Amino acid sequence: MKRVLILLGAICLSPSVYCEETFVYRAKSIQLTPTQLISAGEILVRGSKIIEVGPTVSRPKGSKVIDWGSFQVYPGLISPGSSLGLAEINALRPTRDEREVGSHTAEIEAWSAINPDSELIPVARANGITHSWVIPMGGTISGISGLIRLEGWGIEEMTVRKSVALHLWWPGQGLATKFKTQSVSDKKPKALKEQDKERKRSLVELDEFFNRGEAYAKARQTKDLKVGKNPTWEAMLPFLNAEMPIVIHAEDARQITSALDWAKRRKYEIILSGAKDSWKLAERLAEEEVPVIFRHIFTAPPQSHQPHDLHFRAPGILAEAGVRVSIGLRLGAWAAANQRNLPYYAAQANAYGLSRADAIASITRNPARLLGMQDRLGTLEKGKDATFIACDGDLLDLRTQVVDMRIEGKRVSLASRHTRLRERYLNRPNPYRKQD
Amino acid sequence: MSFSFRIRGCLIWAIILGFLKTSFCTERFPFPGEKPTGPKLHALVGASIQLNPNKRIEDGLLLIRNDSIEFVGKKPKVPEGYREWNCTGKTIYPGFIDPYLLAGPKKPALLELGHERVLDATADLSFHGLPSPNSETARKGPGFEVVGVHPQRKRAREFEGNSMDWEKLRENGFTVAHLAPTEGIFRGSGPCVLLMDGPVNERILKDEVGQVIAFDPIGKRNSPSIYPNSLMGVIAVIRQTFWETQYSLKRIAFEKRNPTGVPFFMHEGTESLLRSLPPNSSFPVWMEPGSCLMMRKAIELGEEFSLPPPILIATGQEWRRPDLSLSPEHHYVLPLVFPTPSKLPNEEDWEQISLDQLRSWDFAPSMPSLFSSKTKSLSFTTSGCDPSEFRTNLMKAIARGLPEKAALAALTTNPAKLCGIENSVGTLEKGKVANLLIAEGKTFFRENAKLHSTWIRGTPHLLRPENEPADTNKSNSSKPDAGPIAQFPGKERKPIENPETVLFKGFKLWTCEDEGILTGQDLLIQNGKILSIGKNLEGQLPEDSKIIEGKGKHLTPGIIDCHSHAMILGGVNESTLPSTAMVRIADVVNSESINLEWQLAGGVTACNLLHGSANPIGGQNAVIKLRLGSSPMNLIMKRAPSGIKFALGENVKQANWGDKYVTRFPQSRMGVKTFFENRFNAALEYDRLKQQATFEKAPFKKNLELEAILEIIRGERLIHCHSYRQDEILVFLRTMESFGVRVASLQHVLEGYKVADEIARHGAGASTFSDWWAYKFEVYDAIPYAGALMHRRGCVVSFNSDSPDHARRLNLEAAKAVKYGKLSESEAFKFVSLNPAKQLGIDSWVGSLKVGKDADLAIWSTNPLDYRTACLETWIDGKLFHSLAHTRKRSERRAEEREALIRKARAFTDGDTQSMSSSSSEERFFRHALESACDLFPHSCRTHDCSKERKGR
Repeated sequence: MKRVLILLGAICLSPSVYCEETFVYRAKSIQLTPTQLISAGEILVRGSKIIEVGPTVSRPKGSKVIDWGSFQVYPGLISPGSSLGLAEINALRPTRDEREVGSHTAEIEAWSAINPDSELIPVARANGITHSWVIPMGGTISGISGLIRLEGWGIEEMTVRKSVALHLWWPGQGLATKFKTQSVSDKKPKALKEQDKERKRSLVELDEFFNRGEAYAKARQTKDLKVGKNPTWEAMLPFLNAEMPIVIHAEDARQITSALDWAKRRKYEIILSGAKDSWKLAERLAEEEVPVIFRHIFTAPPQSHQPHDLHFRAPGILAEAGVRVSIGLRLGAWAAANQRNLPYYAAQANAYGLSRADAIASITRNPARLLGMQDRLGTLEKGKDATFIACDGDLLDLRTQVVDMRIEGKRVSLASRHTRLRERYLNRPNPYRKQD
Repeated sequence: MSFSFRIRGCLIWAIILGFLKTSFCTERFPFPGEKPTGPKLHALVGASIQLNPNKRIEDGLLLIRNDSIEFVGKKPKVPEGYREWNCTGKTIYPGFIDPYLLAGPKKPALLELGHERVLDATADLSFHGLPSPNSETARKGPGFEVVGVHPQRKRAREFEGNSMDWEKLRENGFTVAHLAPTEGIFRGSGPCVLLMDGPVNERILKDEVGQVIAFDPIGKRNSPSIYPNSLMGVIAVIRQTFWETQYSLKRIAFEKRNPTGVPFFMHEGTESLLRSLPPNSSFPVWMEPGSCLMMRKAIELGEEFSLPPPILIATGQEWRRPDLSLSPEHHYVLPLVFPTPSKLPNEEDWEQISLDQLRSWDFAPSMPSLFSSKTKSLSFTTSGCDPSEFRTNLMKAIARGLPEKAALAALTTNPAKLCGIENSVGTLEKGKVANLLIAEGKTFFRENAKLHSTWIRGTPHLLRPENEPADTNKSNSSKPDAGPIAQFPGKERKPIENPETVLFKGFKLWTCEDEGILTGQDLLIQNGKILSIGKNLEGQLPEDSKIIEGKGKHLTPGIIDCHSHAMILGGVNESTLPSTAMVRIADVVNSESINLEWQLAGGVTACNLLHGSANPIGGQNAVIKLRLGSSPMNLIMKRAPSGIKFALGENVKQANWGDKYVTRFPQSRMGVKTFFENRFNAALEYDRLKQQATFEKAPFKKNLELEAILEIIRGERLIHCHSYRQDEILVFLRTMESFGVRVASLQHVLEGYKVADEIARHGAGASTFSDWWAYKFEVYDAIPYAGALMHRRGCVVSFNSDSPDHARRLNLEAAKAVKYGKLSESEAFKFVSLNPAKQLGIDSWVGSLKVGKDADLAIWSTNPLDYRTACLETWIDGKLFHSLAHTRKRSERRAEEREALIRKARAFTDGDTQSMSSSSSEERFFRHALESACDLFPHSCRTHDCSKERKGR
C-alpha cells in the first residue's frame, strides 16, 4: 500500500498527461462564446486545457470541484495591442522600450523587450486581462508584434507567439493647413499642391518598398541563392508571401482608403488598427473582410459639429455593417498603465449600439482570431486553453470585481502593486488616535 | 510761381487753417537741379462731388490752392490761373483714411489669437518673486518692468517714410493712415501720416493718435519664454500697469503735500499712460484684443478703469458672439479681409474643413453690415488685406447689405474722427487738406470702377493714362451671393426650455444627502430652485406646470467637475513665473467651447476651471455653471468663493521639461516649501506696508500677486493644490497651517491615501482621479482604492476629470469607487456631486437634491453607475440645457449646414473667380479662431505635464 502511494505520488509529480490535476469549475454562468451564455454551468479542466464545458460535465476520478457558484465566468480578456511590458512610466525615458528609431525596421521584435516584472502587468491582469498583443512602434514599418500571456517565469515562458504580424504605419494623407502663428518655430505649411504631391509620393515609395521586398523574396527562392541575406527583407518574407497578416495603423479616412486600395491590389491580408474614421468606410471594410481594431472609443470627436458620442457609436456602426471589430486602447506607453480598463471600452461601445455579443467578442474571440490563436484562446470550448476569469457580476459593469483567474489551467494571483499598497495603508494606525 | 506768391499763399493758408496742429507751410524755394513740382492751383471741373457720405453735388467745381481745398461747390466759372481738369463723368470723393495701418520692414500683422503650439513654457531666468526687471528694461532705460509694456514709445520717432511704399494704398484711394505701433502689449502711439513721398516732416498730419494696447502674449516669443506667455497673463499685465499708473498719480500728489528727500521717480512710461487714464483721459486708448471674446474683455477692462470707451480693432470673427463683441458705445475698426476657400486636391480633403472654418468664410462679408448697425461707428483698415482685394471685398460687403453711405463713412469721416483729424481730412470742405480721389464714372462703389487719380495735399497721383477709356462694361463679377447660409452659433446655444415650474415625477431620486436614494417621491422645482421633495406633490402644482414622468429613470444632482481645463482661452498655464497669483481664469473663460455641449451631455452642470500646474502658485480659478449661451461672465458662478491653483512636485520643479529648464526656483521639493513660505511672508510684509500707508494716509502701490496671496491668508480665497506624494502633501499642509490657512482641496492627491488621517484632520478635500497612475514617477504609487480609503478615513473625496473626455462620463468614474472601494452607490455618486461642491465651497447651493438648492439636475435612463446608462436631460437653474433627442438633432442640423456650406465653397472654388483670390486670403480660410482652436488641443495635467507638447504624441 505504501509502495503504491509512493508510486502514485511519483506519477503525479511527473509531468505526465495522465496525472495532471483535474478540476471542475462550477459557476453561476459561463460565457462560452460571445453568443453562447449558459447559466449554472461547469468547466472540466485537465492541465492547461478545457476537456468539457456545459451545464454539467463529467467528474473524472480525483477531480476537484471548485465552487464559483456566485460568479460569472468569461474567457480571459485579450488586449488587442499594447505596450504592456515594454513601457513602465511614460515620463521616464529609461523605463521605455516600446519605440525604436529607423523608418523600416521589420526585424524588430516586440516580445524581446518584455519586462516580466513590470508592475503594470499584474495591474492589467487584476481586471481580467490574460493576454496582450505587444506591438512595436516607431517608423513606417516598426517591426513584428508578439503575443504574451500575463503570467509566467520570465520572458520565454510568457511569450506565446514571437511573431504575429508586421506593423505598417500608413503615411499621413491629411493636409497641413495651419494658419501661420506667431511662435518662432512654426513654419507656414507648404502649398496644398505641393503637399498633395508629397503624399502621393509617399504611397509610391511605400509600394516600391514592397516591390523590392517581393523581388528579394523571389531572388531568395532561386536554387543558387542569387542574393545575400538582408535582415529587413528576411523578416518580411512571411508577410510578403501573404502567409501572415500586416497590421496597418491608419486613422484618417484618406489613409484608410489608400491602405485598402493598396492591400487589395497586392493581395495582402491586412488588419486595420487605430481606425478613427473607419466608421465612415464600414461598408467597404465589411465587403473586403478587413478586420478593425478600433482604438478611439474615448477620443473626442475631431470636429465640433459631430455629436459627443460619435466614437462611442463607431464600433456599433462597424459591426452593423458586418465588420469584425476588436476594441483596444491607444498604443504607446501612456495607455500601457490603463489596460485594465479594456472591458469598459467595450462596455461603452455596447451602451451605444454594439451588441453585447460583439462587445464581448471585441475583447476575446476577435482578437484571438487576429492573433491566429482561435484554436486556443478567445472562447471557452472543448480543447481550448483553460484561460478564464471569474467575476462577481457582469464583466462590462464598472462595479464588478474580477475575483479569480486561470491561465492555461493555472491559478494566477490577482495581487498587484495596488493591492499591496492598499493592504499596507489600510492597516496604517490612525496617528491621532493616541492623542485624542 | 513766384516766391512771394508762395509766402503769401502760406500765410493765407495759416490763417484759414489756423486750427490745424501741423503747419503745412514748409515748402521752400527749390535748389537748382531739383525737379520742380509745378503750381498747386487746380480746378476740378464738372465732376459729381461726394462732399461727405451724406451730401453729393452734381456738376460741381473743386478748387485746390496749394495744399488745401479752396472752394468746393457750384460755380459757373473757373478763376484765372488754375489748371483745369475736365472731370465730367467722374466722381470726386474725400481721400480714404486707414485708421490702423500696420506697416514696416518687419511686415507686422494684426493680432489673431488662435492655437499656437506652446513653444517653450518656462520662466524668466532672473526671477525674484515678481515680474522682474528684465533685460529689456536694462537695455532701454527706465520704464515699466514687464516685457512689451512701453506706452512711451512713439512710432513717429522711427517713421522713415521713404522706406514705405504707399503706391498700392494710393491706388485704392487712400491718402492718410494712422501708422499704428506694432510691437508689445502697451505699444505706445503712432502718427497719422499722409501717404505721399517727400520730406518726413511734411507727411506727418498728427504725431500721436492714441495709446495702443494689444492682447499679445508677447513673452511666448522669447526662448525660453518670459512673462506673460498666456492670454490671462497679458490681461493681468494690463491691470497691473493701470494700477501702477494710477498709483503714480496719487504718489506725486502725496509728495506735493509731503515733500521728501527721495522724490518719487515718474518714468516716461507712466507719464505717457497717464494721459489716457482718468481724471485726465485726453489720449484715446485703442485696443487690439485679437479675438471675438477678447473684444468683450477689452470693453470690460475699459469699464474697470473708467476709460473713455476704447477704440476696438476687430477680427471679423465677431459673428460668434455679436451680442458680446459689438457695443453701441464703441468705435470699431474692421480689417477688410475675407477668407477664401482654396481648391483642395481631393474631394475627401473637404472632410478636414470644419463647420467653424466654413462659417467664418461665409459670414465674413456680412460683418461690415453687422458692425455698421450694431456699433457706434465702423471704420475699415487695409491691414492684412491684399491690395488687389480691397475693392472686391468692399463690394462684397456692400452686396451683403452695407449701405454705400456707411461704406464711405467707414473710409473717410469715421476714421478721421477716430484719429482726431476730422478737422483736416475726411470730407471735402473748404479749408481742409486737399486729399481726394477721382473715380471714373458715377460711383466708386461698383465692380471694376476705375480710379483716375488720388490727390494728397493737393498733389495728384495719376493712376491711369488720361485718355484711356473707362471700360465700364466689362464685368468679371461672380454670381451674386444671396447672403450667408451659415447659422449664428447663438441660435442653437441656449436653453431648450425654461419652464417656471416642473414636477419630476416617479424618478429614483439620488439625493446625495442622508436620505440616500429615494423611490416613490417626486421633486418639484420652481424658478430655478428645488421647491420640494415628497410624495404626491402633484396636488400643489400651479396650472400649466410641466410634468416629467420618470418611471424607471433616475434623477441625480448635476455632476460637478472639480478639476477642468476645458473652457479656457489662450493658454491654461502662465507658466513663466513660479508665482502667477495675479492671473485669472475668469478673464479667459471660453463660453463658445464645444465642450460645454459635450459635457452637458454627460450630465455635468458645474466645473472648476483651473490654471495649470506649471508653477507652485498658479492663477486664480473660476467656478462656472455650464449655462450654454451665456457670456463668460455669466457662466461664472458668482456665489462661489474665490480660489487659486497651487501645485507641488514634478511639474513645478520642471522635472519633465527638458534639460534647458534647470534654473527657475524651485527645482526641488525643498524649494517648493521654501517658495510658499517666501510668498506668504512677502504678502504679510506687503500687508504691513499697506496698513502703514493707510495710517500715514500715503498712497500704496497695489500688487495683484500679493493681494491674491493675502486673500488666502485672510481666508477669502480657497487653495486648490495639485499634489502627488505623501511627503509633499504633509509638508504643504503644515506650511499652510503655519500661516493659519486651511487648504480647500488637494487636487489629484494620488498618495493622499497614505496620509489620509492628516488630510482629514486638516480638513482639506481630496479631489482625485479614479484610477490613473504610472504616467510619471510621482504617480507610481497611485492606486484606484485611494478614493475609498481616504473617504473611510474621513476625507471629503471627489473624482475629477482633468480632461474634456472624462468629463463626458464622470458618472462612470464614480462607479469605480464602488468597484475599488466597495462604497455604496449613493456614497460613490457623491464623489462627483456633493463632495466636489463641498470642496469648492458651493454646497449650500448645488451638489445634492435638497429643498432650496439650485435646480441643477441630470436625468439618466437607468442607474447612472451602470455603463448602459445615458444622460437624457441636464437642467441648470431650472432650465433645460441638454436633452438627448435635441442634442442629436442639433448635431444633425450642424452636419447638414456643414454639407451645404461645403457645397457652396466647392461651387466657389470650381468657378473662375477663385483663381483671383490672394494666397493670404486662402491661408486665412484654414485659420482656427481662438475660441475654436482652444478645443482642438485640450489640456490635461496628465498628458501634458503642464509644459510643452512633445513631438509624436
